[in-house]
Amino acid sequence: MLISYNWLKWYIPEVPEVNKLIDIFNYHLCEMESLEKMSNGDTVFDIKVLPNRAHDLLSHQGMACELASLLNIKYLDPTPKYKIPKSKPTTLQIKVESEKCRRYMGRIIKGVKVGSSPKWVVEHLESIGQRSINNIVDAANLVMFDCGQPTHAFDLEKMDSVIIVREAKEGESIITLDNKEVKFKNSNMVIADTKNVLAVAGIKGGKIAEVDNNTKNIILEVANFDPISVRKTAQDLNIFTDARKRFENDLSSELASYAMREFSALILEMCPDAIFEDVVDIYPQKQEIRELSFSADRISKILGLSVSVDKIKDILKKYNFKYKEEKGDFEIVVPQLRLDLQIEEDMAEEIGRILGYDKIKEKVSKINFKIRQNEIYVKTFSARTKLLNDGYSEIMNSTFRNTGEISVLASASDKKFLRTNLTDGLKESLKLNLINTPLLGVNEIKIFEIGTVFKKTGEEMHVAYGDKKEIKEMKLKEFFKKVSSEFLREKVLPLENLRQDLKEQKFKMWSLFPFIARDIAVWVPEDISCIDVEKIIKENIGDMVIKGPELFDEFKKDGKISYAFRLVFQSYDRTLIDTEVNDIMTKISNKIKDKNGWQVR
Amino acid sequence: MIEENKKGKEHPLSILAQEAYQVFSDMGFEIVTGPELESEWYNFDVLNVPKDHPARDMQDTFFIKDEIGKVLRTHTTSVTARSIEQAVKEGRIPCAFVSIGKVFRNEATDSTHEMQFYQIDGAMVGENISIADMKGVLSNYYKKILGDDVEIQFRPSFFPFTEPSIEVFAKFKGKWLEMGGSGMLHPNVLRNLGLDPAKVQGFAFGHGFDRPAMIKWKIPDVRLFYQGDIRLNQFN
Repeated sequence: MLISYNWLKWYIPEVPEVNKLIDIFNYHLCEMESLEKMSNGDTVFDIKVLPNRAHDLLSHQGMACELASLLNIKYLDPTPKYKIPKSKPTTLQIKVESEKCRRYMGRIIKGVKVGSSPKWVVEHLESIGQRSINNIVDAANLVMFDCGQPTHAFDLEKMDSVIIVREAKEGESIITLDNKEVKFKNSNMVIADTKNVLAVAGIKGGKIAEVDNNTKNIILEVANFDPISVRKTAQDLNIFTDARKRFENDLSSELASYAMREFSALILEMCPDAIFEDVVDIYPQKQEIRELSFSADRISKILGLSVSVDKIKDILKKYNFKYKEEKGDFEIVVPQLRLDLQIEEDMAEEIGRILGYDKIKEKVSKINFKIRQNEIYVKTFSARTKLLNDGYSEIMNSTFRNTGEISVLASASDKKFLRTNLTDGLKESLKLNLINTPLLGVNEIKIFEIGTVFKKTGEEMHVAYGDKKEIKEMKLKEFFKKVSSEFLREKVLPLENLRQDLKEQKFKMWSLFPFIARDIAVWVPEDISCIDVEKIIKENIGDMVIKGPELFDEFKKDGKISYAFRLVFQSYDRTLIDTEVNDIMTKISNKIKDKNGWQVR
Repeated sequence: MIEENKKGKEHPLSILAQEAYQVFSDMGFEIVTGPELESEWYNFDVLNVPKDHPARDMQDTFFIKDEIGKVLRTHTTSVTARSIEQAVKEGRIPCAFVSIGKVFRNEATDSTHEMQFYQIDGAMVGENISIADMKGVLSNYYKKILGDDVEIQFRPSFFPFTEPSIEVFAKFKGKWLEMGGSGMLHPNVLRNLGLDPAKVQGFAFGHGFDRPAMIKWKIPDVRLFYQGDIRLNQFN
């Protein structure tokens, strides 16, 4: 959620400077993902509001309220500023035909003048990346980003003055405001009049009753919908909007009254001559007032931090919670918007994060628990140790393959199947590693994998190992049976306590460019050691050799000795060409030939 | 002569897993394992993640074709849940478990994201186990695997299965890095596992395991772990 610093300042003039807010958010509320300084001097924060605070923090007022309490600074309640317009009896009819609409407030306003918005409205909206459209639409948007309640305005001339909230009929469709046609399923919630579907309830408005520059009379909508219904409808229709986000996380129905007041007052400010009709408020089941009990002892026990009764009282006062307390037992009245506060543990979190988790000191409890050995772990560990001991190196391949018996429904990749064996992957790895043999400095490539495979009958742990001649694969338990008890006793058990000096090792990334391997064999008199030859090679190879010179062969004949070395050339930033490697090899050969009695074979 | 390579080389994640298991065993945690193809029940419902709740969007889940109610586990917290449930049945409370395993998320891959990766998950349940214990345990873990100068930090977060919920950060070479989620097991989860929240409480955590390996050895790309290239196996 984008939050404008200047907008916050309307409500909390004493808000700390931008840099101080970063830590306040991160350590006491939720993550500040980024911030951007705007050309007009404002700063805009991108705040990752946690899902359990989506009820009250997806708005500037909510955020300001929270910060005011957290920091114990003044909060300027804007309510009195919003004038209640004089209104007259209305002809508006609202029929709520589904209980998934928990509240619907509507109001007819006649004689509005559609035009541009006041400067402050445009600035507010633009600061958080919203485009100003016209004063009526802007007012609706502003209310949502200001207090968190999604709202909407219909053009009354394009509909009849009956609002029906109902489930869609199969086959019904609508063109949404962004000119997309969506087809409804019959469980989807819509707003309609007697003839047409006008909007996707709580998600997006429709084209039919869109407010345009010629609009004179409007209906304001401030409603509340069941979160699951909104979520399902939006998923069916694949629509993401700011309204959806707020409703699917559940909003308090109580917020609607305030939002209607703000919405009406904004339109009154923009269109002073408009004629307001009475608000129609269908609110079958009023949100109940909830109480929540908790004790200072229990909070302390959960946090592992002794929190005094006074400290808790202090917090409750700052947050304007109504409470009663007796001997450390608290009973609070939960503020209407705080749908997240349900149980004692929620208050532990509330108090913990307000105090700051840095107050909690580390401790390690010893518990009375006798550890058992996990069979799969022991077998995996034994198999790994055995294979490593036999010269196989370990790989981990992807579980996803192009073919298989079990597939995932949808995937971001084209490999939708789960592997049925480890062998196919191991074969590919062998191929890859065989190409790299000169780089690896080994005579043969031997690899293994221990992992899960998936068959129609279920998942199984397998072991596969092999070289270029043969790959063997079997169930982990079968492999384990083959490991001798002697090996387990000597090699597996002692290893559990081994592993030191890992700290200082550092990974070296390999080059992604192809390598070129070259061999050079040299005849020298018998008394010349391979080190002498290696020295000459090293002096002349330049800086492109990533492996070698490595002696891979030597033999004596007729008082002479032959040493064969392998050199692997590779660059980290380009593909080497044959001729440049040839040049280096020639240079080395020449240097060797210069020596008395030395000869390149 | 080219040295006849007698012993094979281990995958870095295996090396680190072995170290982590050692650290947790020393702190009294039992090593546990569980299925990768998991039921929605153990992956979500038992963990207080209801159907049709936005919390399910927090993880991009692979659902299984033609097998309703099955998913590739999105976290190893399912293993923790299974283990605690079993311990309750066997009367082994208090208890502490740790598991390291492959998890899956349906998201586009890049140098820091893979569709499959490893997670380390653990929990400790008892009469008086608190966030202070969680801090002690996780601090010790990160010091042991990343070095004694590592500090950890708790920040507010949200997970349906914990209350309070906490995001753990570790300071490595002067930088704060996000390591993963944790918190006190939600009373609904305790109840689902057969425990009485009035009598026992406990913490749980589920942290990425590739990340610490990457920062420990400066491995630049998470995808290198799963390409089957043994040039990766540089450590012993």
